[in-house]
Amino acid sequence: MNLLVVILIQASFYALLGLGYVLIYRATRILNLAHGDLMVFGAYLFFQTLAWTDGNIYIALIVGLAGATLLGIIVYHGVMRPLAGYPVAVGVLATIALGIVLRSIVTVIWSGQTRYPSEYVGQLGPPIVLAEGISVSMIDALIIVVSAVALIGLPVLLQRASIGVDMRAVAENALLASQRRINIHRINAFSWALATVMAAIAGVFFSLKVRLGPDIWYVGLAGFAPALIGGMDSLRGVAIGAVIVAAAEVLASRFIAPQISLAAPFFVLLIALWIRPWGLDGSREELERI
Amino acid sequence: MPFLPSTLHTRYRDEIRLLDSGFTRFWCAVGIVSALILPWILSNFWTGVANQALIAIVGALALNLLMGITGQISLGHAGFLAAGAFISAALVTHFDAPLGVSLLCSLVGGAVIGVLVGLPALRLKGLYLAVSTLAAHFVIIVGLGQYQNAASDGAGFTMPSPSFFGLQIVSERQWFYVLLPISLLALLVQINWLRSAFGRAWMAIHHRDVSAEVLGVRVARYKLLAFSASTALTCFCGALGAYHTGFVSVEAFDIHLLIQYLAMVIIGGLGSVVGSVLGAVFVVAVPHVITAATAAAPFLQGLGSKVFEIQIGVFGIVMLLFLVLEPRGLAGVWARVRAYFELWPLKFRAWES
Repeated sequence: MNLLVVILIQASFYALLGLGYVLIYRATRILNLAHGDLMVFGAYLFFQTLAWTDGNIYIALIVGLAGATLLGIIVYHGVMRPLAGYPVAVGVLATIALGIVLRSIVTVIWSGQTRYPSEYVGQLGPPIVLAEGISVSMIDALIIVVSAVALIGLPVLLQRASIGVDMRAVAENALLASQRRINIHRINAFSWALATVMAAIAGVFFSLKVRLGPDIWYVGLAGFAPALIGGMDSLRGVAIGAVIVAAAEVLASRFIAPQISLAAPFFVLLIALWIRPWGLDGSREELERI
Repeated sequence: MPFLPSTLHTRYRDEIRLLDSGFTRFWCAVGIVSALILPWILSNFWTGVANQALIAIVGALALNLLMGITGQISLGHAGFLAAGAFISAALVTHFDAPLGVSLLCSLVGGAVIGVLVGLPALRLKGLYLAVSTLAAHFVIIVGLGQYQNAASDGAGFTMPSPSFFGLQIVSERQWFYVLLPISLLALLVQINWLRSAFGRAWMAIHHRDVSAEVLGVRVARYKLLAFSASTALTCFCGALGAYHTGFVSVEAFDIHLLIQYLAMVIIGGLGSVVGSVLGAVFVVAVPHVITAATAAAPFLQGLGSKVFEIQIGVFGIVMLLFLVLEPRGLAGVWARVRAYFELWPLKFRAWES
C-alpha cells in the first residue's frame, strides 16, 4: 500500500514533466532536451528569491514562474524561431546546445553547490494521514494535486479556451492558421512559456522535496520517457506513461538495486519504443510524418 | 588551347583522382609535412592535446558517417566510446591482450553493438531514433558501471602503455606518430566509402529512404551497415583513447562527452568529412585555449574555478550560433575560403564540378 502511494507521487511528478515535453512537441514538433535545464533555471530563481525575501514562498513562486515565462519566450524567439523549417534533428540538437548553455549559466551564477530550499520554508505543513500507517507529506500532496490539475486543465485549455484552439490550429497547419490571422509566433511563444512554467513548477517541487543543484537537470531529462511512452502528441498518454515509468523506477529501486532506478525510465522506454514506437496513445501517422 | 582552370576536368582519370588539382596536392603536402614536424614545435602538453584531437577525429568521422551522411541521428556515441574502451580494458585486465588484438576486438565488438542498436532504426525515424539511441547510451553506461564495480571495486581500470612492433609507446611524441597514420587512414577510408556505392546508398537514404528503395538501395541493409561501421569506428576510437589516457572509468563517458562529439560534427558541418576533422580539432583545442587564456590574462583569474563551466557554455553558444547562422559549419566557411583562393582572380565558377 505504501509502495502504491510512493508510485503515485513519483508518477505525478513525471506527469508534470512529461506534459511540458508534450506541449512543446505539439507546438513545434521538437523534442526539447533542454527541458531539464529549464526546470533547474526556474527552481534556482525560486530559491534565490526565497533567500532574498527570507522565506516568503509566495513572492518566490511568482518570481520563479514569471522568470520561467520570460525564459520560455526568449528561448522561442531567440533559438527556435530562426530554426523553423530546418530538419527535426537540427531542432533537437539546438535544444541540447541550449541545455548546456543554460546549465553553465546556472553553475557560473549559483555555483555547483547543493542547496536545500526547504531550509527556508520547512515542510509547508503537517503530513496528511491517509490511513493507518500511511501518511503523505504536504509537499507530496501538493505534487499530486498540481499534477492532477494540470492533467485535467491542459486538455480543457486546448479544447475550450480560444488560445487553446489557436494552439491546436497552429500545430495542425501553421500556414492556414496564419492566414486566419492567428499570430503563430505569439501562440508558439505561449506554448514554450507554458511548458517552461510547467518545468519550473516541477523544479520547485523537486528542489523542495529533495535538493537543488545544477545536476538535477538529469531528473528533468528523465521526464521525456513518460511523454514518449504515452505518445508525444497525447496529453492523456502522459498520465499512462508516467504511471508505467514511476512503477518501474520505484519497483526496480526497491527490489533490484537503488542504482538501477536512474536507468529504469530509459530501459522501459527502450522496450516501449520497440513494441509501440508511436506511443500508447499517440497517433500512428505521427511517426510516418517525421 | 583555351584557358582551362584546374577545376575543370577533361578526362575521367582526372575526375576520380583524390588529389584532383594542383591546389589540393600542394596544400595536402603542406598539411602532411607540417603535421610531421608539429610535435617538434609544440611542447609536450600541446602534443598531448594534438593526440587527443587525432583520436577525436576518428570518433567525429564515425559520428559524421551516421548523422551527416546517412542521416540517422545517434545520441548513443558516448556509450559506444565507453563500450570500446571497456572491451579493450577487459581484454587487457583479464587476458593480457596485446594492443593489436584488443583494438581489433573493440572494432569487431563495436560492429556487433552497432547492428543491435541499429535494429530499431529500421522501424524508427528522426526523433524516436534519437531517443532510443540516447536510452541505449544510458543502458550501456549503467551496465558498464555495474561491471566496473564488480571487476575493479569501482576504481576503474589502468591500461598498460602499449607496444607497437616491439616498440614501447610512452611519450606523447611517440603517440603522435602512431596516431597520425591511424587518423589519416580513417580519413582516407571514409573519403573512399563516400565515393563508392556505399556512400551513394547512404546519401540516398539520407535524402529520402523511400526514393532510395525505389532506386534499388536495400535500405535495411545499408542502414544497419552504416550503424555497424560507425559504431565499430567509434569503439575503436574509444579503445585508442583508453590506451592514450592509460585509464578507463565509466565516469569519463557522460553526457558531456556525447555533447562534445555532437559539437564536433555540428560545428564542423554535418555531412562533411573536412568539417569533422576541423570540428574535432576545434572542440579539443578550444577548452585548452580558454584555460591557457584565463591563466595568462590577469583580469580573468577570478574565473579560475569556473573555467570548466565556461568552456561548456562557450561550446553551447558556438553550437547554437553555427546552427542558426551557418548550418554548413566550419566546412562551409572552409569551402568559401577555398573557392576564393582557388578561383582567384575570378569571382565564381560558371559550372559546378
